[in-house]
Amino acid sequence: MKVDPYNFLGISENSSEKQIDRAIKKKMRLYHPDKNPGDKSAEEQFKILQNCVKEIKESKKDSQKPSDSSSNNDTGAESSPKPAPSPQPHQNHNESHHASSENEYRLLVPLIPALLVVPLMAIVGVESVDAAFLIVLAPFIAFPVILVTGQLFNGRKEWKHTLKEGGIIGLSALLVSLCTASWVLLDYLRGAREISKDAGGRQATSWIDWISFEVLQTDYSMTSERVIGVGVWIDSLTLMLLFVATFLCFLICWFSLGYMNTDPVNENRNHRFYAEFVLFAMGMFGMVLADNFLWLFIFWEIMGLCSYLLIGFYFWKPSAAYAAKKAFLTTRVGDVFLMIGLLILYDIYGSLEFSVVFADPSLAGTVDSDKLFWALLMLFIGAVGKSAQFPLHVWLPDAMEGPTPVSALIHAATMVNAGLYLVARMVPFVDLGGHGVAGLGDLGLIVAYIGGITAFMAASIAFVQNDIKKVLAYSTMSQLAYIFTGLGVSLWFYNHGKTDAATLVFGGSMFHLFNHAMAKGMLFMASGSVIHEVHHAHDHLHEGDGHDHHDFDPQDMRNMGGLASKMPITSVAMMIGSMSIIGIPLIGGFWSKEAIVAKTWKASLDYEPLMMGPAILVLLTAGMTGFYMSRMWFMTFAGEPKHEEARKVVDHVHESTPWIKEPLVILSIISAMGGFGLSVFGIVKWLAKPYSYDLGINQDSFLDQVIYELEHAFLPEDPNLRIVGWTTIFLSMVIGPIFAARIHGGALREGEKSGPLVSWLVWLSGKFGSQDATEISESTLALALQERLYFDHYYELALSKTVLPFAAFAAWFDRTVIDGVIKKVESNSTLGSFQIRRVTTGRASDYILMVAVGMLSIFVLVVGVSG
Amino acid sequence: MIDPSWIAALGVILFGIGLLGTFYHKNAIVVLMCIELMLNAANLNFVAAASHYGDVNGWVFTAIAIAIAAAEVAIGLAILLSLYSSQGTISLDAAKELKN
Repeated sequence: MKVDPYNFLGISENSSEKQIDRAIKKKMRLYHPDKNPGDKSAEEQFKILQNCVKEIKESKKDSQKPSDSSSNNDTGAESSPKPAPSPQPHQNHNESHHASSENEYRLLVPLIPALLVVPLMAIVGVESVDAAFLIVLAPFIAFPVILVTGQLFNGRKEWKHTLKEGGIIGLSALLVSLCTASWVLLDYLRGAREISKDAGGRQATSWIDWISFEVLQTDYSMTSERVIGVGVWIDSLTLMLLFVATFLCFLICWFSLGYMNTDPVNENRNHRFYAEFVLFAMGMFGMVLADNFLWLFIFWEIMGLCSYLLIGFYFWKPSAAYAAKKAFLTTRVGDVFLMIGLLILYDIYGSLEFSVVFADPSLAGTVDSDKLFWALLMLFIGAVGKSAQFPLHVWLPDAMEGPTPVSALIHAATMVNAGLYLVARMVPFVDLGGHGVAGLGDLGLIVAYIGGITAFMAASIAFVQNDIKKVLAYSTMSQLAYIFTGLGVSLWFYNHGKTDAATLVFGGSMFHLFNHAMAKGMLFMASGSVIHEVHHAHDHLHEGDGHDHHDFDPQDMRNMGGLASKMPITSVAMMIGSMSIIGIPLIGGFWSKEAIVAKTWKASLDYEPLMMGPAILVLLTAGMTGFYMSRMWFMTFAGEPKHEEARKVVDHVHESTPWIKEPLVILSIISAMGGFGLSVFGIVKWLAKPYSYDLGINQDSFLDQVIYELEHAFLPEDPNLRIVGWTTIFLSMVIGPIFAARIHGGALREGEKSGPLVSWLVWLSGKFGSQDATEISESTLALALQERLYFDHYYELALSKTVLPFAAFAAWFDRTVIDGVIKKVESNSTLGSFQIRRVTTGRASDYILMVAVGMLSIFVLVVGVSG
Repeated sequence: MIDPSWIAALGVILFGIGLLGTFYHKNAIVVLMCIELMLNAANLNFVAAASHYGDVNGWVFTAIAIAIAAAEVAIGLAILLSLYSSQGTISLDAAKELKN
């Protein structure tokens, strides 16, 4: 009797191993002879079932032989979602990618409805600002949808291939957000709405009252109803960050479709990733749009939670679990301070609504500047935690344990920008022209110093990192520190009434945020592309020979080299991104970094000698950035592979995974052109518009504006700034890259070719001679930098000396005292009930006696009481 | 005409006998009979009170109580039957499932 095993089990032939297992077990239970004693038909069915199981096992063995797997695209799918990299070979990955990539873009069809949402709203006649809730709502709805459907349909073919395990749902939700955000932005750009500098004129739409309550006054009367509403607060800062967040989240989600779904480790778990991803995106969108500090705080915490979940995505790795905990707890330290700061603010203003708090921060001179200083300092510490600045920076490098799209998401698009956003929101408090509070200049100094120290420290640690993502992580810290320095300087300027300079550096800092977000998002995705392809090349190389994957780290740049010829798009993208971060003239970050460095020096030279510290630090960091970014690029793409194993792996690298290249291309163009283009259109002034006071830096014609910008950047009127500017350019463009090229540069192997600009750069990198850096790399300082300057070490030491003993004491107290009391109560009441239980004899006559006695006593009582 | 207080006294005595019977007898049927005895003692009191006050309500209540008592006996015997089928005896000492 011949039966088709799959048919018999009621599953399709290419269902996953898990499903097959489940089906077999179900049938086993149904027909097992122990369950059906003496049932002939069940016995027969059981025999058929045993035959089926045997057949399936044999066919599995066949399909795992590399020889006949060309027809089977699902080998990756069939490997069970084991935590450790599965020992099964992932054969012909590249071939199967080629075969499937043609059809990949048909999956984008479900995105069309998402594109139609905004036009529909516009036709119906909804105002763009009123539709802004969609930005938050779309990912908020997508989150449970992905999670629930993912749990229900996990492993199904359509779910995996058509919906990309939820990726398409997430992508359409983010597309709705992006479209709506662009719509709002366009409305402002074309002048349908205006950003004005007084608080009343800023667009704040409050839709509903969320909480309303009355306050108990000191004379015990309930008065002054207070309301916390739900609404949006839109000014140029919001618009810029909203665009950055929605745009990058969309691109990174796109990138994830390629990066996450082709890695067998993530098989059947990606719905978790996409669900957490959209929730994270929602947190960022909500935080940027929030019109009061309470909502800001709530969304802030949602981001904290999601970063924990996403960093710990590979939770079975102890390092990832540790990193997730570390990130959560470190940012938690900042969050506690942030909450204290918010409470002080509430105490001062009696409200957390922006429209109230920002309207007249001085409250006509009644605000105690000391109190406000502490409130703002606490907010700043919260921002330090979120943006990974010294001394709460330790979590960010460890956060690289998450999947690479998460790194891009956290380090470019969302979380780290949240802290900057919060500090940028402090401007109204210190802005004397907008009736801020005088005497808060020290706050600016503190912010600038923290920024300067972090910038320098992170850049120096980045010198010696060999993990490609770690370099980018420290670079992120360093660049964010630039922005903090700029914001600190601008806070200082605002508080001393130098509003012109303040506006310029504020706009410059925010512009740097934009440039950095675009470049760093792209750099992370490019590094993800490198890691992904190297990893797959290594798997491809060692398929079937049982080679242990653990001794090869696809993120280690010492395993790379000479990839320029193998990955043309990625190498160009990474080059442009690095140039933008370094600040090569005319490209991306140059325009904003120049403004920050120049204005910091201006502050120190012309007004405040104490600003000299951050000024020197950021200037040095400019050169160091040039070194470590070039070093990363040269180590990865230039020269020859560093050892025999790496040479074999590099030979197998192909840039072939779908979905990965498009975001790189788009962001390369923006990074390359965006800086100059936007500054010509006056983005610096536009970003500072809510706090600007008619700078008069806009020229009449477009050409005049271009000339003005170039002149301003290269030949400022102030001779000091001219020196500073050219020193920056010299350090970052010449000194840093040349040193990097001397150590790590080199021509490609014979016969290897790459794109024109890249090949020129690679050729150039080999021309500066070579320097052996082993001696330097073994020096004490280098080792200290390797160990991240022992910060983690000393933090752990401090914690083990303070928190852990206290925790042990608390645990002891809990176990002996609190639990002791409870356990005593429990054991005594058990004892008591044992005694009471003896009353229930079970004998009917005893019960009757009790009833009789009870009735009698009630009777006696009633008679006795009523007399 | 007998003084109603004598009838009431008879009722009290009958009730006491019934109560003691329920305490001390092991046989479930006897206990049931004793319960009937107590019910009838109560009925007797009703009748006595009715004739004392010249009120018909007492007699009506008695009639109702007798009807209910009949129903109660039916249920009680049914319980005894199932007790017998489960325990094999109708001794109340055997039915101690609810102990502790």
